[in-house]
Amino acid sequence: MTGEIKVSNMNNTQEVDYKKAKLKSRIAWTIAIIFALIQLALTLTPFFFMLMNSFRKQFDMLQQGVFHLPDPWIIENYVEVVTHGFFGYFLRSVIVVAISLVLMLIISAFAAYPLSRMKFKLNGFIYASIVAMMSVPMHVTLIPVFKLTTTVGLYDSLGSLIGPYVAFALPMSVFILTAFMKTIPKEVEESAEIDGCNRYQNFFMMILPLSKSGLSTLAIYNGVSMWNEFAFANTFLITPEKKTLPLALGQFKGEHSLNIPINMAVLTLSVLPMIILFIIFQDKLVKGMMAGAVKG
Amino acid sequence: MKNKVLAVFLATIFSVTALVGCGNSSTQAPADGGSDKGASQTATTEAAPSGEAAASTGKQTDGKNLPELTTEPMTITLWDISTEDPNKSISEGAVQRFMADYPNITINQVHQQNDNYKQQLVVAMSSGQCPNIYCHWGGGPMAEYYKSGFANDITDMYAKYDHPEFVDAAVAQSTYDGKMLAIPFSGLTGCDIFYNKTIFKELGIEVPTTIDELEAVCEKLKENGIIPFSLANASKWTGSMYYMYLVARHSGNAEFDAAYTQENGGSFTSPAFIFAGEKIQDWVKKGYFPDGVNSLSADDNQDRALLYDGSAAMMLHGSWQVGGIKSDNEEWYNENIGVFRFPEDSEAKAAGVPQNVEIGTAIGMGLTFNCFKSDGSVDQDMLDACYVLATQYFNDDTYNEQQVAAGTVPSIKGFNENIDDPNNKYIIDEFFKASNVQLWYDQYLPASVTEVHKNCMTELFGLEKTPEEIGQEQDAAMQKALTE
Amino acid sequence: MEKVTNVGLAKARARSTAVAATLFLLPALALIIVFIVYPVIDTFAISGFKWNGISSDRIYTGMENWKALIHDEMFWKSFQHNLVVMVFSILLQIPIGMLLATFLDAGGKKFNIFKIIWFLPYLMSSVAIAFLFVYALATNGGLISSMASLIQGKKVTIDLLGTAPNALFTIIGVMAWQFTPFYMVYFIAGYGNIDTAIYEAAIIDGATRGQYIRHIAIPLLGPIFKTACTMSLIGSLKYFDMIWNMTQGGPAGTTELMATYMYKLSFQQFNMGYGSTVAAGMFILITAIALLFNKVFKVREDY
Repeated sequence: MTGEIKVSNMNNTQEVDYKKAKLKSRIAWTIAIIFALIQLALTLTPFFFMLMNSFRKQFDMLQQGVFHLPDPWIIENYVEVVTHGFFGYFLRSVIVVAISLVLMLIISAFAAYPLSRMKFKLNGFIYASIVAMMSVPMHVTLIPVFKLTTTVGLYDSLGSLIGPYVAFALPMSVFILTAFMKTIPKEVEESAEIDGCNRYQNFFMMILPLSKSGLSTLAIYNGVSMWNEFAFANTFLITPEKKTLPLALGQFKGEHSLNIPINMAVLTLSVLPMIILFIIFQDKLVKGMMAGAVKG
Repeated sequence: MKNKVLAVFLATIFSVTALVGCGNSSTQAPADGGSDKGASQTATTEAAPSGEAAASTGKQTDGKNLPELTTEPMTITLWDISTEDPNKSISEGAVQRFMADYPNITINQVHQQNDNYKQQLVVAMSSGQCPNIYCHWGGGPMAEYYKSGFANDITDMYAKYDHPEFVDAAVAQSTYDGKMLAIPFSGLTGCDIFYNKTIFKELGIEVPTTIDELEAVCEKLKENGIIPFSLANASKWTGSMYYMYLVARHSGNAEFDAAYTQENGGSFTSPAFIFAGEKIQDWVKKGYFPDGVNSLSADDNQDRALLYDGSAAMMLHGSWQVGGIKSDNEEWYNENIGVFRFPEDSEAKAAGVPQNVEIGTAIGMGLTFNCFKSDGSVDQDMLDACYVLATQYFNDDTYNEQQVAAGTVPSIKGFNENIDDPNNKYIIDEFFKASNVQLWYDQYLPASVTEVHKNCMTELFGLEKTPEEIGQEQDAAMQKALTE
Repeated sequence: MEKVTNVGLAKARARSTAVAATLFLLPALALIIVFIVYPVIDTFAISGFKWNGISSDRIYTGMENWKALIHDEMFWKSFQHNLVVMVFSILLQIPIGMLLATFLDAGGKKFNIFKIIWFLPYLMSSVAIAFLFVYALATNGGLISSMASLIQGKKVTIDLLGTAPNALFTIIGVMAWQFTPFYMVYFIAGYGNIDTAIYEAAIIDGATRGQYIRHIAIPLLGPIFKTACTMSLIGSLKYFDMIWNMTQGGPAGTTELMATYMYKLSFQQFNMGYGSTVAAGMFILITAIALLFNKVFKVREDY
C-alpha cells in the first residue's frame, strides 16, 4: 500500500514538474511573443510611414499630418524619381558597392587569417593598430583623401570611392573576422596539414569556408553603410552622370524647398533592393551557418 | 551722375522687356509641378529660343563697354547650388547662351547640393580644386574666401565695365572692406509675416501696424484657440528672425552695428537686445508660439504644416515661402495667404528711430571669381570671361524674365515694378522702401559667433537663459572673433 | 645533429610564418596606411596650426590648440554626451539585440519573417530615419504626443527633442532603433557558430532551453559579446550622421557630440586647425576607452 502510494506520489510530482516546466515555457513563450510583436510594431511604424508618405503630395502630408494615410494616393512622386535618371544612380551604386564589398571581404579575410591563427612577432601590435583605426572619424580624412584622389587623377570617377570605402570598412571587418576565426578549432587546420595542405591552401580550403557566417555578417554591415554613404560620394563625384544613389536625393532638394514626399520615394526605392537582397541573403546566411556548425 | 542716367535707361529697358517676359512666361510659371519631362532636356530646349529672343531685342549692355574676351580655348568651372528646377534650367540657360556666343570657352557647370555646399567649398579650396566661379551667400564666409586668396577683387572692373544697375543694398552685400567681391545673381529675399487671411477675416482681425497691435492680435487668436505664430525653432535661424526684427524696430541698425564692433559701448546686452529678448520670452510665456517650439524643424517644413492645418495663423519667414507654399498648393495659397511687414515699435518711432530697416538679403547669392595663375597672379583673360558671364548672361533679360516668372526678384533697380504675385509685390516694395537691409545675423556674423548666436536663440525661446545672459554670451564670442 | 635541425626547422617555420603573415596582411595594411593612417598623421600635424582650412598660410602655434582643447568646455561637454550615449547604447543595443537573436534562434525558421522585419531599421538611411523621427516625436501631431493625449484624454505635449535632457535620450533611443538590428544579426551568426552537438548534449542531459542559453550559450558567446560591445562603444563615440540630420547638436548644444563639434569647427566655422585638434583629441580618447574596455573585459574572461 505504502509503496504504491509512494510510486503514485512520485509520478505525481514528476508530472507536476513536467507540467510546471511546460507552463513555464508557455509563459516564457507568451511573454517572448508579446515582446516580439512590440518590437515588430516599433520597427515597422516609421518604415510604414516612409512608404505611405511617398504616395502623397507635400501639401496633403503637411496639412493632414505625416502619420495619416494618403488621401488621395498618388504615384507621381515615383514617376518623377524614375524619370530623372534614378536607374543610372542605382546602377552606379551597385557597381561601386559590389566591387568595394568583394575587395573588402577578401582583403579583410586575408588580414584576419594570420592575426587570428599565426604566431609571429608583431601580431599583437598590428592587430591593436588596425583596431585603433576604428576610432578615426571619417570626416577627418576627407581633405587628405581628396587631395590624394586629385593627384592620382581619380577625381570625379567611381574609382575614387572604392579605395576609401574598402579602407574604411577594413578595421572593423578585420576586428570581427579575427574574433570569428579564433572560434574555429585548431584541429581543423592540423588535420588539413596532415592531409598535406600548406598554409595558403589551408586558408582557401578550410578557414575561408568556415568563416562564411562572419563574412556574411560583414557583407550586410558594410554593404548597407556603403550603399548609404554620402560624404565621400558627395565630395568626390561632380558630374551628374557619375553620381551614386545617395546623391539622387539632392536632385529633389532646392535651396529652400524640400519636397519631402519625393525624397521619401527616393529613399523607399533605394532601400527596396537592400530588403530584397537581405531576404535572399539571410537564407544563405542561415545555410552557411548550419554548414559551419555541422563541419565544425 | 553718369550712373543715374544709365540706371534710368536700363530701368526703362527692363520694364519693357520684363513686361513682355511676364506675358510670355506666366503660362510656364508653375514650372515646378508641370515639368515631368527630363529636367536637363527642357533646360536646353527652353533656353535656346529665349536666348535668340534676347539676342534680337539686344542684350542689356549690347555693344557697350565690356572687356574683349580671349579667342583661345578656355575651360571655366562654375559651381552653383541650382539642383532643382526652375533654378536649374534658368542657370543652365545662361551658361548655354554664353557658350553659344563664345564657342571657344567651355563652362563646366556643376550643381552642388545645398546641404553640404560649404563643406564642399572648404575641401575644394584646401586641395587646390577651387572652381573658377562659385556662388555663396556673402557675409562672413565671403570675407574668409577673400582673405584666403580665393576671390578676385573686381572693384576696378566693376567701375570700368558695364553691369546691371544693382540695388545699393546688393552692392553693399557684395562688398567687403571696400572691395567688390561678387556679382549678385539670385535675387532679393525679404522677410515678413505671412498670415492666414481667412482666419483673420473670420475673427475680424485687422493687420497690425504696431507691436502693441500685434500683441492684441495674438491675444485674440489665442482666445480662439489658434496659435499666433507658427515657428519651428529647431532650425534656430527661424527664431533669430524675431530677435533681429525686434532689435531693428527698437534701434534701427545702430545697436547691432555697435555690438558687431564691440566698440563705444556696443554690446549684445544693450537696450534693444534686452527689449527683443524680453518680448520674445514674454510671448513664449503667453503661448504665442507652438508648444515645444525648439523641437520643430523648419528644414522638414514643420512650420508650414502648422499653417496648413489651420492651427497657427502667422509665420515670420523669408520670402521664399511664397514659392514654397505656392508649389505645395497654389489654390490654397491664393485663398489664404497674405503678408504684412513686421509692425513698428511706436515708442522707438516717437524717439526718432527709423522703422524701415528690413531683414533679409539683397543678393540672395553672389557669384565670386577665383581666377589666378599658378604663380598667384590674376588670370585676367579668365577673369574677363567670368565677369562677362556673370554680369551679361546671368542677369541678362532672358535670365531675369525667367527669374521673375519663378518668383524671384533680381537685385536690380526697377524690378519691383512688374511682379504678379501680390504678396511678392508687397515684400519687394517694402524691401525697396527700406532705409537699410540687415543681412541675416547668421550670415553676417563671423562663423564662430553664428554658432553661439544660434544656440542663444534656442535658449532664449526655451526660457533657459535670460536676454542678459545670451547677450553676454554673444559679446564674449564676438570679442573672441574680433581678436583673431 | 638532430637538435640543430630541429632549431633550423623551427626557424624556417617561423620565417615561413612571417612571410605568409606579411603576404596576407599586405593589402589591408597598404590600404589602411594610405586612407586612414596618413590622414590621421595629417590631422595631428594640422592641430599645431592656426588655419582656416582654405588659406595657403597656416600659422604654427605649437601646443596652443591643445591647451585650448584642455580648457574647452564645449569639447568636454560633448565628450560627456558621447559617454552617456556610449553607456546607454551598450546597455540598450547589445541586450536587446541578444534577446532578439535568442528568440530567433529558439524559434528557428518559422520566425524568419520577424528577422526580416526587425532588420529593416538598419537598412534605412540616416536621412530617412532622422526625418521620420523628427515628425514622430514632434510636439504637434507627432505619434508620441498624440498617443499621450489620447491616453490622458486631454492635449499633452511631450517635448522629446526640444528640451535639454530629453533630447539626448531621444537620440540614444533612435540610435538603438537603428543599430540594434545589426547586433541581432551578429548574435544570430554567433549562435550559428556554436556546435549543434553541444546543444543536443545539453538537452539530453535534461537542461531546459533557458538553462542552455544561460549556462552554455552565453558563456560560449563571450568573445562575440566583447567584439559587439567594442563596436557599439566605438560607434557611439564617433557617431555623426543621424544626429546631424536630427538636431545638429541642438537644442543649445545639449546633443553636441565630439564629431558634430569637430565638423562645425572644421567645415563651417573656418577653424580647421582647431577642428583637427578636436579630431585628434577624439581619436586619442576613443582609442584609450576602447583599449581600457578590452583590458578590463579580458581580465574577466580569463577569470
